[in-house]
Amino acid sequence: MGVAALSIAGLARAADSDATDAAALKEIRAEMHQMREERKRDREVIRSLEVKVQQLETKDQKVETTTQQLQNTDQKLKETTLELQQTNQQVKTLQTKVDAPIATQQFGNAVERYLGSHSFTVTGAAGGEFIYDQQSGALDDLHHASQNSFFFDWEPMILYRPTDWILFEGVFSAGFGATGTGTDLSTADFQIFLNKYMTVVGGLFDQPFGDWYENQSPMWVNRFVTAPLPFGVEPVVPPGELGIQLRGGMQFGALGQDFDYTVWGGNGPNFSSDVLGAAMSSPTSIASAETNGKSIGARFRIYPLPVDTNWGRLELGASTYNGKWANGNWFNSWGVDFNYFIGNLQTRGEWLQSYRQMPMGQASDNRQGWYVQAGYFLTGLKVPGIPDVINDYLRRFEPLVRYSGVNQRGVSTDDIQGATGVGLGGTQVGLVPDFGINGSPATYAPHSREVALALDYWIAPSIVWQNEFDIELPRAGGVFVSSTGAETPAGSIPNDHAFLSQFTIGF
Amino acid sequence: MMRKIFVAIAFAALAIGWTGARVSAQEQDNMSPAEHKRLFREGAKLWPIYCNTCHNARPGSEKAPYEWDLIIMHMRTLGNLPQEDTNAILEYLKAR
Repeated sequence: MGVAALSIAGLARAADSDATDAAALKEIRAEMHQMREERKRDREVIRSLEVKVQQLETKDQKVETTTQQLQNTDQKLKETTLELQQTNQQVKTLQTKVDAPIATQQFGNAVERYLGSHSFTVTGAAGGEFIYDQQSGALDDLHHASQNSFFFDWEPMILYRPTDWILFEGVFSAGFGATGTGTDLSTADFQIFLNKYMTVVGGLFDQPFGDWYENQSPMWVNRFVTAPLPFGVEPVVPPGELGIQLRGGMQFGALGQDFDYTVWGGNGPNFSSDVLGAAMSSPTSIASAETNGKSIGARFRIYPLPVDTNWGRLELGASTYNGKWANGNWFNSWGVDFNYFIGNLQTRGEWLQSYRQMPMGQASDNRQGWYVQAGYFLTGLKVPGIPDVINDYLRRFEPLVRYSGVNQRGVSTDDIQGATGVGLGGTQVGLVPDFGINGSPATYAPHSREVALALDYWIAPSIVWQNEFDIELPRAGGVFVSSTGAETPAGSIPNDHAFLSQFTIGF
Repeated sequence: MMRKIFVAIAFAALAIGWTGARVSAQEQDNMSPAEHKRLFREGAKLWPIYCNTCHNARPGSEKAPYEWDLIIMHMRTLGNLPQEDTNAILEYLKAR
C-alpha cells in the first residue's frame, strides 16, 4: 500500500521535475530495498533466536530430568544403605545365634518344623512260632488234628498324624503256616482328640470289652503264645467291631488315681451260622451279613491306688456289650476284669458271660468264660554259688501260669472242621492250635479248661522268646451241633497237651 | 428306640466335645523350662507304672521324638490315659 501511494504522488509531480523525481524515486527504492533487506535479516535473526530459545528450553528440560534422576538415585542409595545396615545387623545376630550352643529342645523343635505337622511311623510286631501237638485221643468222627509245624506272623501298625488332634491307625496281619496263608486288616480307624476328656474313635477296632482284645492281644504284649480260652478259639464276645467310640480318662484324686470310660456302638454281633454254639464271625464280614441289628457297649475302669504310695497299680473294670443279630435276636454280654502289678509280680483276670437269643424258639445259647494269670520277673534273682554271667541270663526269665475255661451248651461241628483262621480276621476256630489269638487243640469243647505254663526269656522290653506248655482238661458234657442243628452228646473228651515256642519282636 | 438314644447321646457328646478347648502340642512347646522339668519328673514316675500296666515299658531311646508324638496318641486312646499324664510321659520319653 505504501509503495502504491508513493507511486501516485510521484506521477503527480512529474510535470515539475522528472530528474528530481527520478532521483527521489531511486532513493526511495533504495531505501525500500534496504528496508526489505533489514527486515529479512531481522527475520533471520528472530528465527535464529527462536531456534536458540528452543534449544535452550530442550536443554533445560533435560537438566530437570537429570536432576530428578539424580534425586531418585540418591534416595535409592539412602534406602540401600539402610537395608545394608539392617542386613549387617541380622547377620551379626545370626552369627551370635550360630556361635551359641543350641539347646536340645530347640533342636527338636527345628527338626519338627522341618518335618512338618504331617507325620507317620510304622510300629507293630513280627514273630515266628513252632507248635508241637499230637492228638492221640482225637474226637470221634471229627478232624484228627496234629501239629508239628512252623508259623510266621507279621503285624505292622501304621500310625499317621495329620495334626496334633487327629490320628489314623491301621494294623495289617499276614500269617504263614501249615494251615494256610492269609492277610487281614485287623484294625483301621481314626481318632479325634476332642478335648482333655473325650476322644472319638471311628472305624474297625478291637472290641473294647474287658482288657484282652484291646490291650493284651498284640503278640509282644501277650505274655503267653496263645490267648485265654474265652478270647481265643471260643470267644464269648465278638473280637472286633465296626462302629464308633467315645472314650477318655481323668484323674480323680492323687497322681495315678484315674477313672476311664469307653462307650461305643457298631454293626453288632454276627455268627458263622444260626445253630447253637456257632462261632463268632469277623467284624469285617458284618457289612455283608444278613439282618444285623446294631450294638451298644460300655466299659468303665478305675485305678484307685496313688502312684506315690508305691502300692502298685490296681485296675478294676466292668464291661457290657449288647446288640441284635439275625432278624432281631438279642445278644447280651457283660464282664468284669482286674489287673494288679507290684514290683516284679503281675496278675490279671477276667470273667465274662453272654446270652444269645436263638431263632425258632430254640433254647438260648449261653456262654461263660474266665481266666486268671500270674507272672513274676526274675529281675532281682541272684542264685548264690553260680557265676554272675549265669545269673544275668536267669534274671531275664519270667515264669507264668494261666488257668482259663469256657462253658457253653454246645459247639458247632462245622466250625471244628473248618479251616483255621491263622489268627486272622476269619472265623477263628479249629482243632489245630494256631498262631496268636487262637487256642490249643482240645479246647474246642463245650466245657473247655486249660492250664498254660509259660517261661518267657526277655531279650529286650519288646523282644521275647516264649515257651508255653498247654494242658487241656476238657470237662464232660454239652453237645456237638451239626449244620442242620442236630445235637450229639459230647460225652467225655480226652485230655491233651501241646508245646508252643515263639520268638517275637515288637518294633 | 435304642438306636435313637444312642444317636442322641453321640451327637450331644460330640457337641460338648467340640465346644471344649483342644489342647495343642504347641502349648507344650511354649512352656517354661521349670514347667518342662516338672513334667519330666512326673513322667519319670508315671512311665514305669502306666506302661507296665499292659506291657513292658519301652525306653525313650527306642524311637525318635516325632515317633513318640504318634505313639503316645495311640497309647492315650488305648489306655484312656488322662491328658496331663500323657504329656508328662511324652516329656520323659522324648528326653530319653
